[in-house]
Amino acid sequence: MNRIHITLCYSLCILVLVFSSKLAAVEPIRVVLEFTPDLDNGRRSFEICARCHLPEAWGNDDGTYPQIAGQHVNVLMKQLLDIRSGQRANPTMQPFVQERTIGGYQNLSDVVAYISTLPMNPMHNRGPWPVDSEEYESGKRLYRQYCISCHGQYGEGKNELSYPRLQGQHYTYMKRQARLARDRLRRVAPVMANLFTTLSEQDFDQVLNYVSHLPVPASDLAPDTAWRNPDFK
Amino acid sequence: MKENTDLERRRFLQASGVALAATTVSANVATGADNNEMCQAPALNSLLRKATLPRPRGARVVIVGGGWSGLTMAKYLRLFNPGFDVILIDRQSAFVSFPISNSWLADQVDLDFLSHSFFDAANNHDYHFMQATVLGFDRETRRVYTEKGFVDYDYLVLAPGIEYDYGRIGIEDTEAQNLLFHRYPGGFVSSSELLTIKRKIHRFSGGTFLLNVPNGDFRCTAAPYERACMVAALFKRQRVRAKILLLDMNAEIRIKKAGFARAFAELYGDYIEYLSSSEITNIDIEGRRVETEFDEYDFDDAIIYPPVRASRLIEDNGIASPISPQKAANTDPFRYHLLDDERVYVTGDSRSQPFSKGGHTAHSEAQYVAEVVAAHALDKEVRWRSPQTMCFSAVDIDPLRAMSIITYYKFSDKTGEFAFDRTHLIERWDTQGGQASLAWAEGMYRDMFYS
Ligand SMILES: Cc1cc2nc3c(=O)[nH]c(=O)nc-3n(C[C@H](O)[C@H](O)[C@H](O)COP(=O)(O)OP(=O)(O)OC[C@H]3O[C@@H](n4cnc5c(N)ncnc54)[C@H](O)[C@@H]3O)c2cc1C
Repeated sequence: MNRIHITLCYSLCILVLVFSSKLAAVEPIRVVLEFTPDLDNGRRSFEICARCHLPEAWGNDDGTYPQIAGQHVNVLMKQLLDIRSGQRANPTMQPFVQERTIGGYQNLSDVVAYISTLPMNPMHNRGPWPVDSEEYESGKRLYRQYCISCHGQYGEGKNELSYPRLQGQHYTYMKRQARLARDRLRRVAPVMANLFTTLSEQDFDQVLNYVSHLPVPASDLAPDTAWRNPDFK
Repeated sequence: MKENTDLERRRFLQASGVALAATTVSANVATGADNNEMCQAPALNSLLRKATLPRPRGARVVIVGGGWSGLTMAKYLRLFNPGFDVILIDRQSAFVSFPISNSWLADQVDLDFLSHSFFDAANNHDYHFMQATVLGFDRETRRVYTEKGFVDYDYLVLAPGIEYDYGRIGIEDTEAQNLLFHRYPGGFVSSSELLTIKRKIHRFSGGTFLLNVPNGDFRCTAAPYERACMVAALFKRQRVRAKILLLDMNAEIRIKKAGFARAFAELYGDYIEYLSSSEITNIDIEGRRVETEFDEYDFDDAIIYPPVRASRLIEDNGIASPISPQKAANTDPFRYHLLDDERVYVTGDSRSQPFSKGGHTAHSEAQYVAEVVAAHALDKEVRWRSPQTMCFSAVDIDPLRAMSIITYYKFSDKTGEFAFDRTHLIERWDTQGGQASLAWAEGMYRDMFYS
C-alpha cells in the first residue's frame, strides 16, 4: 500500500482543575496537536480493532457495532478520546483505546486515517419506511429543520467540526444510540441532548429512517458485500 | 398457618431436585412417617422461610448464577427496565474469571486481575446480590428455594453454567467420580480447582503430565489447547523434564487448528505429545493410568476435563429437553424462555442452543436476553440477534502472545439449525494479541462489575 501523508488537526480538550480555598473551577483549555498520519502503521494498528470490528469495519446490521469505515478522522478521533477518558461510556472498548494497548496520539492518528480510507458497506441497514412513504417524508422535513445545519444536506457531516457522517450508518445502530442518549445513558453534545426533549421518539425514528436512506457516493462504497479487506487476507 | 407450611413444604419438595430434600422425602414416604414430623426437621424449616431481602421496588427478576451470563443479565435488566427489581443469586462468595486463568497459571497476570466482588457489581449497577445456593423452584407459585429461604419472582433467569459428566469417560460410580474430581480437577467449573491446578503445575518435578480435551459441546473449545501451551511454557521456563500428554477425544484440534498445531510443533516440540481420537474409556485413579479405546497411558499427575452437561438444576426441576444430549432446557431458541413458560429463561453455558460455550458468548447473549425480558414486561418484541463468540488463546509467555477469533451465528430455515456466520480468525500469535486478550478481559470485568 502506498504511503500517503495528510496533515490533520485533532483538537483535544484537556480539563485543568483550578483549586482555590473556596471553590474548584473547571476550565477547559484547547490544545491543538498535529500529526502526519502513516497509513501503513495505521493498518498494522487497525488489526487490534479488527479483532472485534472485523477487517472491513462495516458494523453489524443488528446495531451492536457501527459502520466506522469511511467516517471522518476527527469524528473517529473524538470518539476514541472520549472513550479513552470515560467521557463516552463504553466499558468493553475502553481498555483497547488506552495508550498501553493502541499506543499514543501518533498511533491513534494513524489508525483513524486508515479507517477513514476504507470503502463502505454497500448494504447498510436501512429503516422500515421506504422512500416516498409518509414517514420518510416526515423524517425528511424534520431532518431539514433540525439536523441539516450540522450533519449536511446528504448526511455527510463535517470533519473540521467533528460532526459525524451519518450516511451509510446502520439504522439499528443510530436507533440504539438515540435510545441511549434519550435515556441519558450516553452523553451527547448539548444541542443533540436538547433534540431529545424537542422531538418525540417517533419523530426521531422517522429522522433516522430518512438518514438511513440517504445515498452514499458510489466512489466511497465497496463493490459488493462479498468484498473483503485485502490488507487482512 | 400450619396448612400453609405443609403446602409450602410439599411444593418445595416437588420443586426441588436437591439430593438432600429428595432423600428426606423418599425416606419418609418409605417409612410412612407423617408429614408433621418432617416439617419439624430444622434443616427444612429454614428453607421454608422467606429470605431476607429489601422490599421489591417493581417486578422482580431473580437470576440464578452470577457468572458471565448472570452478571451481565443483572446489569442490563436494570438498564433496559429501571422498574425491575433484580436479585442475583450465586453460591460463591466472590467471582473468579475462567477466561485468562490459563495465562494466570503461567504467571502472566496475578489473581487480583481475575477476582472481583459481587457486591461491587450489585452496588455499581443497583441490584441486589444474595449469596445462596438455589435448591429448586416452583413455577406455579413462582418461587425459588434457597438454603437461606425462598424468593418470589416475576421472572426467573437460570444461568447456572455447566457440570462435569464423568460417566462419559467411563467413570459411573459416584464415589469414584468424586475422588477423580478432587484428585485431578479439570479447572472448568469452580475456582478451587484452578488453585489446585496452579499448585500442581508449579510443583511438578518431572515425568508425564496428562491433559485432555473432552468431546461434545464442552466449555470454551480453545481452552484445553491453550492450557497445554501455558503448562508447557511454564515447564519450559522452569526447565522441568516433563512430557505433557494431551489426549484429544476429538478427531482433530477443534479450533485454531493451524495455530495450535504450529505452537505444539515449533514452541513445545520437546514438551507436548498431542494424540487425537483418544477417547478416554476409563481411569485407574490410584494406579494413575488412563485407558483409551486402544491404549493405556501412565501418568504422574493430571488435569482431567470430562465432557460437560447443563447444570443439574435444570434436569432436577423437570425442564430438561428429553432430546438434549447434554440435558439442556427445553427453550425457545430465539427468545430463551421455556417453551411452556414465558416467565423462565435459560442463558449462558446451560442454554440449549449449540453456541460455543464462552464468556463472551454469554455476555453478548445476556444483553440481548435482558432486552427480551424487558420487552416482555411491556408486551413488546425485540428482533433476534446473534451472540458473538470472541476467544483469545494464549500461546507463549514472557511476554504474553495470543491468537484470536470472533464469530457470529445464523439460523438456517432450511436445516432448522444454527451455523457459524462471519468469522475472523488470527492464528498468528503476537504480543498485540496478548495485550488485546488482557484488554478484552478488563473490558468485560469493567462492564460486569464497575461501570
Ligand atoms: C480455563 C477456562 C478458560 C476460558 N477461557 C475463555 C476465554 O478466553 N474466552 C471466553 O469467552 N470464555 C472462556 N471460558 C468460558 C467461560 O468461562 C464460560 O463460558 C462462562 O463462564 C459461562 O458463563 P455462565 O454464566 O454461563 O456460567 P458460569 O460463569 O460458570 O457461572 C455460573 C454461576 O452459577 C453459579 N451457580 C450454579 N449453580 C448454582 C446454584 N444452584 N445456586 C447458586 N448459584 C449457582 C456458579 O457458582 C457460577 O458462579 C473459559 C473457561 C475456562 C474454564
